[in-house]
Amino acid sequence: MKDLLRILVSPVVWLASFSAIYALHGLICQLDPGASEPFGVSLSRITLIAAFVLAVLVQAGLLALLYSLRFGAAPGFARSVSRMSGWVGLVATLWTLFPTLAVSSCGW
Amino acid sequence: MNALARHRRLTAIWSSEPGWKGWLSTVNHSDVGRMFIVTASFHFLVGGILAMLIRAQLATPNSAFAGPEIYSQLFTMHGTIMMFLFAIPMIEGLAIYLLPKMLGTRDLAYPRLTAYGYWCYFFGGAMLLISLVFGIAPDGGWFMYPPLTGRIHSPGINTDFWLIGITFVEISAICAAVEFTVSILKYRAPGMTLGKMPVFAWYMLVVSLMILTGFPPLILGSILLELERAFALPFFQVELGGDSLLWQHLFWLFGHPEVYIIFLPAAGMVSTILPVMASTTLLGYRWVVAAAVALAILSFGLWVHHMFTTGIPHMGLAFFSAASTLVAVPTAVQVFAWIGTMWKGTPQLRLPMLHILGFFITFVIGGLTGVMVAVVPFDWQVHDTAFVTAHLHYVLFGGFVFPVLAGIYYWLPLVTGNRRFFRLGKVAFALIFAGFHVTFLAMHWVGLMGQRRRISTYAPEDGWTAINLISSVGGFVLAFGLAVVLIEVVLSFVVRHRAPRNPWGSGMLEWAIPRPSAAYNFASLPRVNSRDPLWDDQNLPVRIARGEGYLGDPASGRRETLMIDSATAEPEQLVIYPANTRLPIVLAAVTGLFFLSLLLKIYLITPLAIAGVVALGWRWVWRLGSKQDLGDQPIGHGVAVPTIAEVSRPPGWWGSVFLLVANATLFGSLLFGYAFLWTIAPGWPPPAFIAPSLPTMLAAAVGAALAVAGVAIAVRTNRNGGTPVSGLLAAVAGALGLVAVFAMMLWSAPPAAGHAYNATVMVLGSYGLVHAALASLMLIFLLARHRAGYMSQRRRGELAIVKVWTMYLAGVTGLVVPAVYLPGLVT
Repeated sequence: MKDLLRILVSPVVWLASFSAIYALHGLICQLDPGASEPFGVSLSRITLIAAFVLAVLVQAGLLALLYSLRFGAAPGFARSVSRMSGWVGLVATLWTLFPTLAVSSCGW
Repeated sequence: MNALARHRRLTAIWSSEPGWKGWLSTVNHSDVGRMFIVTASFHFLVGGILAMLIRAQLATPNSAFAGPEIYSQLFTMHGTIMMFLFAIPMIEGLAIYLLPKMLGTRDLAYPRLTAYGYWCYFFGGAMLLISLVFGIAPDGGWFMYPPLTGRIHSPGINTDFWLIGITFVEISAICAAVEFTVSILKYRAPGMTLGKMPVFAWYMLVVSLMILTGFPPLILGSILLELERAFALPFFQVELGGDSLLWQHLFWLFGHPEVYIIFLPAAGMVSTILPVMASTTLLGYRWVVAAAVALAILSFGLWVHHMFTTGIPHMGLAFFSAASTLVAVPTAVQVFAWIGTMWKGTPQLRLPMLHILGFFITFVIGGLTGVMVAVVPFDWQVHDTAFVTAHLHYVLFGGFVFPVLAGIYYWLPLVTGNRRFFRLGKVAFALIFAGFHVTFLAMHWVGLMGQRRRISTYAPEDGWTAINLISSVGGFVLAFGLAVVLIEVVLSFVVRHRAPRNPWGSGMLEWAIPRPSAAYNFASLPRVNSRDPLWDDQNLPVRIARGEGYLGDPASGRRETLMIDSATAEPEQLVIYPANTRLPIVLAAVTGLFFLSLLLKIYLITPLAIAGVVALGWRWVWRLGSKQDLGDQPIGHGVAVPTIAEVSRPPGWWGSVFLLVANATLFGSLLFGYAFLWTIAPGWPPPAFIAPSLPTMLAAAVGAALAVAGVAIAVRTNRNGGTPVSGLLAAVAGALGLVAVFAMMLWSAPPAAGHAYNATVMVLGSYGLVHAALASLMLIFLLARHRAGYMSQRRRGELAIVKVWTMYLAGVTGLVVPAVYLPGLVT
């Protein structure tokens, strides 16, 4: 069962972070934090970018664990598939949450 | 014992009752799989006739063939039948029939559950078909958007048939998903590690996990909408704090993964059949497995792309547009693996291969139009047009029906024992392929010209007449092709033309057994050393028949198979199955009575039906187990393993864990709905929050702690040879305390029809109450089992199962109580 968890963990964490950041975005747009701009960037944008960076770091950490001798799977099928799905999690996070950097947050 | 004597002995043990009674009491996976396939095919026929009626209506402008009311029923039932009564059950049927044979075992994990799932599907499907016959079928479109389907705009019983009937049918899918997950992880042939599993089993494992997490949001949505319609609980009524967009979120949280739930098993068939047709192995097995896993999980992040026109902010649109384009990558990995497999091997253009090529062309076109509608500005243009309908059909017909047809022709000799005789298949393929593309290419075109989907007619000056006529002609050609397939399949059963044992030269285990397959599948369970055991050992079928594998001695007269360790694939437990019984059909009928009482609003019957389900459920479980310790049982090759009653993690434990995954998803969806209404719906906060009650909260904490601690103590004392009664009594007290807590919560809640908040509190409290009552019942059951002598230091499995459910109850309590009381406490 541990091998199955290793295979599933990165994409599942992507799904969780993707849903959480979408929910965060909905919450921010609903609460309308106003025009506070600490570094010339709106507070809502900073919050979303911070969440994006955190999600990427978590995925990178998971990938490192999957490559480590201690937590990674034994050589063979489970090791290669879990590492592939680890890359899927990281690339999916970068690709699907990239809009936090590039698109207006609450515009219609 | 020689092979023939072994065959006769095993057949006597495993066979269903002779005659028609056998269909009612069989729990054998081959029987139930065939019943699923036949019933799903019947529904496909009905759905196909409805499609013909739709095309007849649209063939000419200003058509008076069907009025708008009937036309709405036609397209709603066409979509509903094809999605819920054909596609998913057909997958279930094929997998129920094939998986044990591919995995090298004798049956699925829970044979009675397989039969119960079938009968729920049968009765639920019958409910929907009856509504069609009486002209009161659902008419709100297959995704049933409120407010159209609310009781103001749809006051009749039509929508209720959909909400209640589909929920009933979904029980079948959840049963099958639990069954497949446990079977694939724990019921494989010894030696078959995860990396040696047939690729189809990998696809089905992924799909089963998707069903467990994809279907609960729809079940929840259906419950909430039915509660609104029947009892005026305003979850989707804006003026009372509800929001119709909540339905769209819940529906598409299910609806988008559903497309992949349908596609992935079909892709599994392609990955299985294609290498055999090319006389080689699948190129990039590991890449294909990783792609299937990636596709499955990515598909859960796409649901909002069905809602691009509902007024979502730019960033939200961009998230889901990006995710929608990303799924093309794992899909392409599979397509390139299939192309590479053909390149590597020597493909032969036999009939299954023709359908696979049809799949390639059609599905790739459907995938490309999918990327087009993932682009937001394009989606805005074509949303709700015939273009989207055409795209959907390219994906589902191309991605499902062509592979299923390939699978039918491929595995038909295994089912019938005969080879095809009349050779109608190529004609059928030509008609289907040409008919399909004429129909749906035309539909893309007319959609781009502006034809809305679901319109019952159009005017000649719209300029769509010729295209619609061409599309309708194509539809009828397609229907002729499918009729020819049906004729050929029936003829294959009737005309005896004996097929060889392994007609395609496959290396997989399903071809190592007699054909048509025997009720017991394998006379002895083989040890597997690769993904193609038949290629390793041409003599394997003979050695299996001679009883040279595990469990080759049927002297015990029991239905037996093995559970393995999921990682090492070494034998771990001896499974003793229950025999034929009518309990599944009776339980499904009583479950149906429950749903019928809700549909017809005869609420006096509802508690009787619930009591019936509880009584039958009690009887269901009571029949399992043993009153004496059996000790480790010899299984052959000098190995002895304990029976499933004498281990800490029996099949029931595994099934409970995966059932609770589905249950937790439903609960999570409810919490999501609560949060969604709170943040998005107008009319929040509500006029008043429920008054916080510190004594109730304290009682909840004590009850949950007592229930969990009591079961833990019972498990520990039993393990040490003591009596678990005192621990169980404490746990019962805790669970009954929680029943009282949730009853108090409901009693003190404001009127549920007043506001969506009140309604949500009612549902949250009811969810907690049901689980507290269920845990109490389970704990009382354990006390009765202990008293009757079914438990001992060795026979401890039942305690482990109830422990899982009690811990889940504690978790639910820990979330429901704060969710209900904290808002009032904070404000």
